[in-house]
Amino acid sequence: MKTPGAALPLMRRALADSWRSTLAWAVGLVAVMSLYLPLYPAIGGNAQMKQLLDSLPPELIRALNYDQIATGAGYTQATFFGLMGFLLMSIASVAWGAAAIGGDEEAGLLELTLAHGVSRVQVVLERAAALAVRVAVLSAVVLATIVVLSGPSQLGVGPGHAAGGVLLFAGLALLSGTAALAAGAIGGRRFHGLAAGAAVAVAGYAFNALGNQSSDLSWLHGLSPYHWAYGNAPLANGPDWGAVAAIYGLSAVFTAAAAAVLAQRDVGA
Amino acid sequence: MPHQPAAITVRGLRKSYGSKEVLHGLDFTVERGTIFGMIGPNGAGKTTTMRALLDIIRPSSGELALLGEDPRRGGPALRRRIGYLPGDLILQARTTGRRLVEHYGELSGPVRPGRVRELAERLDLDLDVQIRRLSKGNKQKLGLVQAFMHDPELLVLDEPTSGLDPLMQAEFLALLHEARAKGQTVFLSSHVLSEIQAVADEVAILREGKITTIATVEELRATATRRLRLVAGNTSPEKLAALLQGVPGVARLAVHSVGAAGMVEATGVLEDGVSALVRALAAVELHDLVLEEPDLEEAVLSLYSEEVRP
Repeated sequence: MKTPGAALPLMRRALADSWRSTLAWAVGLVAVMSLYLPLYPAIGGNAQMKQLLDSLPPELIRALNYDQIATGAGYTQATFFGLMGFLLMSIASVAWGAAAIGGDEEAGLLELTLAHGVSRVQVVLERAAALAVRVAVLSAVVLATIVVLSGPSQLGVGPGHAAGGVLLFAGLALLSGTAALAAGAIGGRRFHGLAAGAAVAVAGYAFNALGNQSSDLSWLHGLSPYHWAYGNAPLANGPDWGAVAAIYGLSAVFTAAAAAVLAQRDVGA
Repeated sequence: MPHQPAAITVRGLRKSYGSKEVLHGLDFTVERGTIFGMIGPNGAGKTTTMRALLDIIRPSSGELALLGEDPRRGGPALRRRIGYLPGDLILQARTTGRRLVEHYGELSGPVRPGRVRELAERLDLDLDVQIRRLSKGNKQKLGLVQAFMHDPELLVLDEPTSGLDPLMQAEFLALLHEARAKGQTVFLSSHVLSEIQAVADEVAILREGKITTIATVEELRATATRRLRLVAGNTSPEKLAALLQGVPGVARLAVHSVGAAGMVEATGVLEDGVSALVRALAAVELHDLVLEEPDLEEAVLSLYSEEVRP
C-alpha cells in the first residue's frame, strides 16, 4: 500500500464505526446468559421441572430442543446457544452484514468510497473481515461467560467443549451475516441483505425443528446449518468438524460471491 | 516535457439499462489544465457519463481514458489521482465529516497537512457535526472537501454548485481557478450554464444522451441571440425594414413609426456577429441603439429544445 496509513483501512473504519453496537450486543449476550444459566440447578436438574416437561407435548419439546435439558450441557444448548443466543447473534450479524455493502450503497457512501483508492474486492473482503472480527469478539465474550458461569451454575461444561460449541455458534452467526452481506452486495439494498440473512437463520432453525418431529421429515436436517452445528450436541460431545468446515466454508463462499458480483455490476444505478 | 495524454478521452460512449439506451455514443476530449463543463437538463445523462468515467458503472460500449488509462484497468492507483463529487449526494453516515475525510485521505492520500482544515474554513463547513445531521448544502461542501483535499490531477464534479448559496458558489469558483492555475484539470456538470460560464474553458451541451454542441464559452456567446432595438430618424418603416432585412442574422423584425415624423423604431434579434449590422447602420441616422448582452442561458435552452435534425 502506497498510502501512509496502516493496513486494512476499510476494516479498521468498519470496526471503529461499530464498536458501540458491538459493545451493546456483548452486554446483551452477557445479560441473557446471566439470567438463564444460573437457573439451571433450579430448572434443568429439578425433578418437578422434569415432570412438567414430561407433561408437555413431545412435539414442543423436540422443537425447542428441550429433550436434553436435564443435563448442564443440554440446558445451556437449549436455552442459550439454541435459542436466545442464536437469536441475538443472528440479528447482530445479519444487521452488520446487510449494512456492509447494501446499506452503504443505499446511504450513498459506497459510490464515494469506490471512487477513492480502493478496489471493490478489497471493500468486500475488508468489510467481511470486520464482520468476522465482531462475531469473534462477541463469541469470545460468550465463551468467557460460559467458562466463568459453568462452575457456580453447575453446568459441567468444560472449556474445551464450550470452545467447540462457541466455534459453531459463531459460525452460524457468520453464515447468516455473510448471506446478508452477499445479498446486499448483489441487490444494492439493505433490505435485500436483511431478508436473505434472516431467511438463512430462520430456515436453519425451522428445518431443524421440523426435522426433529419425525423420521419422515428428518431429511430437512440436511438443509439446516443449525442442525449441522448442533445436531450432535457439541457442548456434550465436542464439535462436529465436518459441520465446522461446512459452515465456515459456506460463509467464505457467500463472501466470495459478494466480491465477484460487486466487482462486475454497476453501483448506485 | 514529455507528451501527456489528455485528461479525459471519450469515444463512442454508450450506456444502456436493459433495453433503454441512455447514452447514445458520446465523443469528447478534455485537455489537461482546462475546465470543461457539461451542461444539460436533468436526465440528459451527465451523471451517467461521470459515473462511467469513475468506473462506478460500466459502459455498454465505447472507449474511455482518464489521464491516459482505462478506468476499468486503472484501479485504485488511477482513482487516487482523481477527485470525485457524486451527483446526488445522500450521505446518511453516522459519523462526523472529519472522520469520513480522514478515512478517504487514508484511501486516496497523501493529503497535505492542514489542507482539509483550509478547505473546510474556506467553505465554512463544520467537520465535527454528524454527517446525517448536515444540511444539503453542507453535505455538498463535505463532498467538495473530499474531492479537492488530495490535490488530484483530475477533478470530476457532478453538479458541484447545487445546494451552495451564492457566496459559496463564488468561493467554489475561486477553488476552480486555483486548481486550473496549479495545472489540475476539472470536468464538471451543471444544468445551468450561468453558474459555470465564468470559469469553463469549454462547454459540451448534452441532451437526451447526445452531445449537441462542444464549444468554448466565447463561441457560444458569438452564436447566441442578442436582442436588438434601435430608433432611427429621417426614414420610413419600409426603408428601415428593407435595410435591416438585408443584414445577415437579423430575425423577428418588427418596425413601426414612433413619435415625430420620420422616426422609426425597429426591434428584433441578432443571431449572428455584429459587424454586418454595424456596417449597415452606418447609413442610418441613429437616435438610439440597444444591443443586449447575449443571453447564454437562452442560447443553451434553444439548443436543448432544437429538434434533432434529420
